[in-house]
Amino acid sequence: MRPSTILLSFLSFIILLNALLCLVNYKQLGTLKQNLPAQQLLTNTYGLSDLALSTEARYTRHPSLSDPMAPYMDHPGSIEHFPSGSFVLPTIGGSRKDHE
Amino acid sequence: MNKSIQQQLNILDYGLHSLWQKKGRNFCVFLIFSGVIFLLASFQFMSASLTRTAELLLVTVPDITVQQLSAGRQVPLSAKSLGKLDTVFGISSIRPRIWGYYFDESNGANYTVIGSSAPATDDLLDSLLIAGSYPQAGEQGAVVLGSAVLDNLGLGDRKSFSLFRPDLTQVALHRVGVFQQSINLLTADLMLMSLEDARDLFAMGHDEFTDLLVQVANPTEIPTIASKIADAIPGSRVVTAEQIRKTYEAVFSFRSGFGAACLLASLAAFVILAFDKGLGFSREDQQEVGILKMLGWQTGDIMRLRFYESLATAACAFGLGISLAWAHILFFDGGLFRSVFLGWSVLRPTFDIVPYIQGRDILLLFAFSALPYLAATIIPAWRASIVRADSVV
Repeated sequence: MRPSTILLSFLSFIILLNALLCLVNYKQLGTLKQNLPAQQLLTNTYGLSDLALSTEARYTRHPSLSDPMAPYMDHPGSIEHFPSGSFVLPTIGGSRKDHE
Repeated sequence: MNKSIQQQLNILDYGLHSLWQKKGRNFCVFLIFSGVIFLLASFQFMSASLTRTAELLLVTVPDITVQQLSAGRQVPLSAKSLGKLDTVFGISSIRPRIWGYYFDESNGANYTVIGSSAPATDDLLDSLLIAGSYPQAGEQGAVVLGSAVLDNLGLGDRKSFSLFRPDLTQVALHRVGVFQQSINLLTADLMLMSLEDARDLFAMGHDEFTDLLVQVANPTEIPTIASKIADAIPGSRVVTAEQIRKTYEAVFSFRSGFGAACLLASLAAFVILAFDKGLGFSREDQQEVGILKMLGWQTGDIMRLRFYESLATAACAFGLGISLAWAHILFFDGGLFRSVFLGWSVLRPTFDIVPYIQGRDILLLFAFSALPYLAATIIPAWRASIVRADSVV
């Protein structure tokens, strides 16, 4: 068999694999969207503003409603030290300037 | 078959054959390249999926959330502050809420406590509970628990339990419902109770709240009303739904944290390795080029040969890396990065992450991984192709 045929077969296999993954993915998205209206109602009723990904620090549990300086206010000279902090950016908004 | 295509296929065959001759070294490069792409793609897919999930779930957050700050820290709002909003027109409803964290000293876990007087008699909301109902008006000590809280408290079938007030006296509570595991991304660490019970637990004054959830009649007026609220309650922090959405658009992006920086650094290291590998042009390689030139190959043909070798390596590694990353998020919920998210959390909720992959993500990854690799191999390919046949053979 020609080497180029082996290469093209491998690439075709990868494309087929991705098509299968796409199908499974589509099915899972359908499940997520199934009870979406109920979850959106819960979010609105109780004001749930954040995803419960990390519970180690209040500013990573609720990044959107935390004080912008929260990561650094544990003690003077404190630096951010929680692992999940490496994934998140500082909070946007909340200051008077943001509404002007 | 077209003669030109046949010629290209022959060059490709020759290139693949020479890759196979040094299979040990090339296989190592292929594996490392696939691994780097896998890490980059997993990070990108996970970020995109979480951002999209947040967009879907948090689209209905209250229009405005009002908090009080004092000396840079959040403090309770009083009923007096609530009264000040009577003068702001355009508000359709204001719901006071108590939002806090309960630190469980017995196991070091943090629970999110939400006290709300919101009436919850909706079939849609009830469908989110495994069993039971939401706290009803006047029902004392009734709590709905997130599934991770239930596991962590070790309640089993028991319904009654107690938590400690700040003065270490106990508050008797009983669970009236448990949230489904499938909505752990919103409720894993949640304890939902009435406003009065939350006040009692945190020993707050009878007219104190932590936030006000404001709904606005006309969505276009939200920024104006937010500004008016900030004026009416001095020292308040006013967060709009739009700002929460913007936070989640940016929070997991490629710009976030040093997680992405480390991954990009590893990619840069690999590109340098690829460049260096290409420059490490052995005597044997030079002789091969010399012989090819004597047989009539042109400089362009040899450059094309090297390009096809790099392209074949990059295409296979990219395809494999992307597929593995997709499977990593789809079937293992991003297991490698979960430990970073959970960090030192005592409460370790399980949650399902559904990949939300778009064509632009794939293109971005291609631009960040395969393109630099191809670019890094161009100069070595050119250097290899300009060797004079009579100087090496």
